[in-house]
Amino acid sequence: MLWVDKYRPKTLDKVIVHEDIAQNLKKLVSEQDFPHLLFYGPPGSGKKTLIMGLLKQMFGPGADKVKIENKVWKIDAGSRTIDIELTTLSSSYHVELNPSDAGFQDRYIVQEIIKEMAKSRPIDTKGKKGFKVLVLNEVDKLSREAQHSLRRTMEKYSASCRLILCCNSSSKVTEAVRSRCLNVRVNAPTEEQIIKVLEFVGKKEGLQLPANFAAHIAAHSNRSLRRALLSFETCRVQQYPFSENQTVAPMDWEQYVSEIATDIVQEQSPKRLYLVRGKLYELLVHCIPPEIILKKLLSELLKKLDADLKHEVTHWAAYYEHRMRLGQKAIFHLEAFVAKFMSIYKGFLIAAFG
Amino acid sequence: MDIPLPEELEWLESNSLLPEETEEDEFYYPEDERIQKLPETNSPSLSSPSPTEKLDCRKRVRSEEEEEEEEEEANEEKRVRKSSQAEADEDWLRYSPPPKSPSNDLVVDQALVDPAGSVVVEEKILSRFASEIEGECIPVTGPDGDRVYAKVSRWETNHDTERSRVKIPPSGLLSESIRILIERADQEAFTKALTDSAEPSMDEARPAMSSIRGQLWVDKYAPNSFTELLSDEQTNREVLLWLKQWDSCVFGSQIRATADNVLSALRRHSSFSQNQKFSDSKSSFFSKSRSPWTIQTLEASDAFQQKIDGVKNTFGLSKGKSPRDNPRDQKVLLLCGPPGLGKTTLAYVAAKHCGYHVVEINASDDRSTSIVESKILDAIEMKSVLADAKPKCLVIDEIDGAQSEGKGAVEVILKLLASDKKSLGKDNITQEAHPGNLSSKKRANAATLSRPIICICNDLYAPALRQLRQVAKVHIFAQPTVSRVVARLKYICNKEGLKTSSIALTALAEYTECDIRSCLNTLQFLNMKRQPLNILEVGSQVVGRKDMSKSAFDVWKEIFQKRKTKREMSMHGIDCSTKDFNYIYSLISNRGDFELTMDGIHENFLKVHYHDPLMQKTVKCLNNLGVSDSFLQYTMRNQHMSLFVYQPSIAITVRSLISQVEKINIEWPRTFLRNRAIFMEKKEELKSWHSKIMPSIARHQLVESFVENTVSPLLRILSPPNLRPVAPHLLSEIEKNDLTQLVDTMVSYAITYKSLKQETKPGIQRHEAATDVPALTLDPRIGDFISFKDYYPAMSSELSLAMKQVLVHEIEKQKILRESGGKSGYPFDKCRPTTTAQPAVQSTEALAFETNYRAATYNMQNMKETISLRQGEAVVPKNSKLGANTNIGRKSNPPGNVQKRPCGPQNFFDRFRKSNSKSSNDHEDPPKAATSERDLRPLLFKFNEGFTNAIKRPVRIYELLP
Repeated sequence: MLWVDKYRPKTLDKVIVHEDIAQNLKKLVSEQDFPHLLFYGPPGSGKKTLIMGLLKQMFGPGADKVKIENKVWKIDAGSRTIDIELTTLSSSYHVELNPSDAGFQDRYIVQEIIKEMAKSRPIDTKGKKGFKVLVLNEVDKLSREAQHSLRRTMEKYSASCRLILCCNSSSKVTEAVRSRCLNVRVNAPTEEQIIKVLEFVGKKEGLQLPANFAAHIAAHSNRSLRRALLSFETCRVQQYPFSENQTVAPMDWEQYVSEIATDIVQEQSPKRLYLVRGKLYELLVHCIPPEIILKKLLSELLKKLDADLKHEVTHWAAYYEHRMRLGQKAIFHLEAFVAKFMSIYKGFLIAAFG
Repeated sequence: MDIPLPEELEWLESNSLLPEETEEDEFYYPEDERIQKLPETNSPSLSSPSPTEKLDCRKRVRSEEEEEEEEEEANEEKRVRKSSQAEADEDWLRYSPPPKSPSNDLVVDQALVDPAGSVVVEEKILSRFASEIEGECIPVTGPDGDRVYAKVSRWETNHDTERSRVKIPPSGLLSESIRILIERADQEAFTKALTDSAEPSMDEARPAMSSIRGQLWVDKYAPNSFTELLSDEQTNREVLLWLKQWDSCVFGSQIRATADNVLSALRRHSSFSQNQKFSDSKSSFFSKSRSPWTIQTLEASDAFQQKIDGVKNTFGLSKGKSPRDNPRDQKVLLLCGPPGLGKTTLAYVAAKHCGYHVVEINASDDRSTSIVESKILDAIEMKSVLADAKPKCLVIDEIDGAQSEGKGAVEVILKLLASDKKSLGKDNITQEAHPGNLSSKKRANAATLSRPIICICNDLYAPALRQLRQVAKVHIFAQPTVSRVVARLKYICNKEGLKTSSIALTALAEYTECDIRSCLNTLQFLNMKRQPLNILEVGSQVVGRKDMSKSAFDVWKEIFQKRKTKREMSMHGIDCSTKDFNYIYSLISNRGDFELTMDGIHENFLKVHYHDPLMQKTVKCLNNLGVSDSFLQYTMRNQHMSLFVYQPSIAITVRSLISQVEKINIEWPRTFLRNRAIFMEKKEELKSWHSKIMPSIARHQLVESFVENTVSPLLRILSPPNLRPVAPHLLSEIEKNDLTQLVDTMVSYAITYKSLKQETKPGIQRHEAATDVPALTLDPRIGDFISFKDYYPAMSSELSLAMKQVLVHEIEKQKILRESGGKSGYPFDKCRPTTTAQPAVQSTEALAFETNYRAATYNMQNMKETISLRQGEAVVPKNSKLGANTNIGRKSNPPGNVQKRPCGPQNFFDRFRKSNSKSSNDHEDPPKAATSERDLRPLLFKFNEGFTNAIKRPVRIYELLP
């Protein structure tokens, strides 16, 4: 098991990074007043860990006994029936699902499946916890229609069912849904917090971790705890007695992006653009989200850029990211950004050096 | 002009005095008309013709003054008479002025009565009272309100020259009033124009009539000989060459005289057409081209025959390949091109030249496979009973018209080709040597293709043709040059006597995009209507515009390639650009598939060499593409299909930015689709991996961010550089620790090593895989997720093969441990619900597991260098030991856990499945391992009650007992 998973805090008490949130959640559970929850924050910040801890706090160790279920739901949508395949992860107390897997049919998942699940009220022998918990991942990827349907479901079945929503950005969750939930912002851990975790893991593993090296890893982690731990383990595997300035291996795709950035800065022409297009396709094909590519590309480009241009380039990156989210063919917009950058940069070069 | 007879003159004169009533013969007039006419008749001076009757009056006036002239000049009069006769033929109505004295008239009338007709004479013609008039009468009201009744009289004569005139007393210096003179002048101009216009139409009428009886011009003037073809020289020749390649098969080794004829004609024609204007003189053209032709056909003598091979060889060599060398490698010819360029005609003409009898099948008519097949087979196999017994050449027209269920023709052809290929391998030589055997062979091996098939289509990229395209020889028809088309049109027009100008014809040809059929139909239509072809009209309704959608390539070509603007068009720039816009707009919207169009633009636009120093145009283009993309997304999501109308304008904007005159090589936008396919594949792979990972781990990780932040470090973690490939018991404590951790990680992430060969052919190649040195790769191929093109990771340390094998072994051990006990410190195991709806998933999972297991065991064998095929002996004891271990481990656990064990039903059923497969496969060890494992345990299985969809089979209890 990777350290990421091995040293994941199993209960709210053991949480290191977001201790305050954990305490609040604990209080919520102890007061038996449990509202719908919306966790949001960047990836690798610990949302899921908190949710798991919360569930365990509520239901005890039974919540950890999960099983994967892959089921085809037949949904009667007026004239036709739609088959939706959905993978759920469930224990006897909760069900975890990813409604955005169904793509544009996510509406039916919310309308039918969640309703179906929410309806059946679990009967506890003690009659204590008479509600089920539904964990919905990636709510921000739900379509607008689905979110609207969700709103009604949340109200109607609130007696028998609590929803825990989990997403990266709350801005894409409609106001109506947000207002029905207790919003929990889980921010990315700071570097100090990451160092703390690294030290904790190092101690558990019985490793000598030089402080500078821990800081080095934390700095390279992009403030993602997962990444920090993974690269920590990588370093451990590659070379154990850590040296102070051991290199932290970068992600391969990030290397690739920085190669692209070099290509762009070297030459600005349609021909080069064509080459860059091929490389962008490569990245996209390898399941790297286009937004991440754009973000990384921007930061790589900014490194090589004159200070005067930084503002403008950043502006355009935001512009194209916006358009990318409106459209569906990411390559068009990525390429448009590259072209725009080339245009700006070339203009700048000509103005500066004639 | 004949000189009128004196009687006629006399008669005319007398007729001039006829009263107007008598003139109305068998014509029917509405009442009101007559009421308006009569006032005039009453008025003596004929000064106010009512406006409604202008035409009539004019006619009358003309005849009047004509008569005046007639009285003066006899010569003049003849002409007038003639024209008036013509007018009578054309049923001109004329009204004469009122008689001066009815009685007088009567006398004259009676005196000069035509012997052929009987005249009814009335005493009283006008009266105040209806009763005074005998017979029919009509009321007439004068301008002053007086009402009279007029007698209606009938002439039952068939005179064609009744007419009337008024003698207007000369009242001034002029013999006639000035008004009349002016009117006359007008009239003269009018008649002149009329006759001018009438004359050509009369001339044309005759040939037009004949062509009605005959046929459409399209058929009438279809080329009959090879030299008359309008289509591209190169295409023509290649089609002919292809057909000639069949000679050895169809006609046997003997080469016919036609071959030489055609070839020599070809050579002549090609040289001829280069230096001879097609249009100059048709007659000379034919005299030149035809006469040697016929002579040659006649003198296909032996002496000539000897030259043939030489000619043929030179021809073949010049083409780069000899027909003999290359016998029928592409057995079907596919001609494609826009309608009206003469594809069918070419097929017919070429086939005729090569001595075939053409059998046409219209693939869009006979759609079902069986019908088409029988037709094709008939055409190919049957021999004509007719005397001439020409071999048949099959022409399948409009093969692309056949969609979905009508793919019949294509399927049949493909089937034929496939069977042919098979049989060709066997009796290729015999066929070549003894063509006589051919038919018998053919009967034996179902149907082989022994006759040429020519398929004709409009859209080469129709989905129905996809397969055919690969096997057929494809010829794409280019548009003939406008001048060639115009020359031909002109020739036809001359023949038909239609007057046209070359400019108009050029405009027509351009408008129809050199669609000869459309041009001819238009011309014939105009000819029937007796209209001359007008340049301005070409763009209007006269020419039927084809509402056909162009292929995507045409659309892209239109976008990337600027048209060479004609000088006269560029004169009015705005007009031209709107026209252009409209044209492209309709082109793109007819095409419809905007997404594809945009993809094509995206794929190709960087190849266009436009002037763009600062890449601003590129940015604009990409911005436009982005707009189009978001438009499309919005449209599809909200189902606002009406927004599609804006898509073409985006493409037009791009066009205005980058279109260039030069031609670029447009490619189908494969990249996007291919990449999307790969993307889906990878994502699927990721997902299946994700679902295999232990849920307690997988739940924390989204599929989407797997590659982003996990794969790279994971790979490095999986390949530690300092692990020695030795037997586990030789490792140091720390190394052992590392190894267990690594194995642990791999198991929990469902990663294992797998032989490549195992994957490709699991059934057959297993032994080779075991004996060869297998290349072990990670099972979910994690490496692929970060293998970018042109990217070489800085440090790619891969484990040695031996190390991998050690790992595989360890992983399997670990897996078995977990499977059986499931209690080795992991609180939650994969525990499958026994509920509904997932037997399929389970079985696949089970299968996957099994294959992994097998792979693993074989590798294990390999590592241990156990070469015996009976690996079972080697494995069983080990596994049984394992089983014992787990057994002990399990016993130490609380019974609650034991209860859980059977609820993983795939184990339960696997057991039987495996033992089943064992009987078929005697070198099968995992089941043995399983049985031995089972054997060591007391009977603990309990079938879960309740509903299951899993496969049920009866199980005897002794099968369960050891």
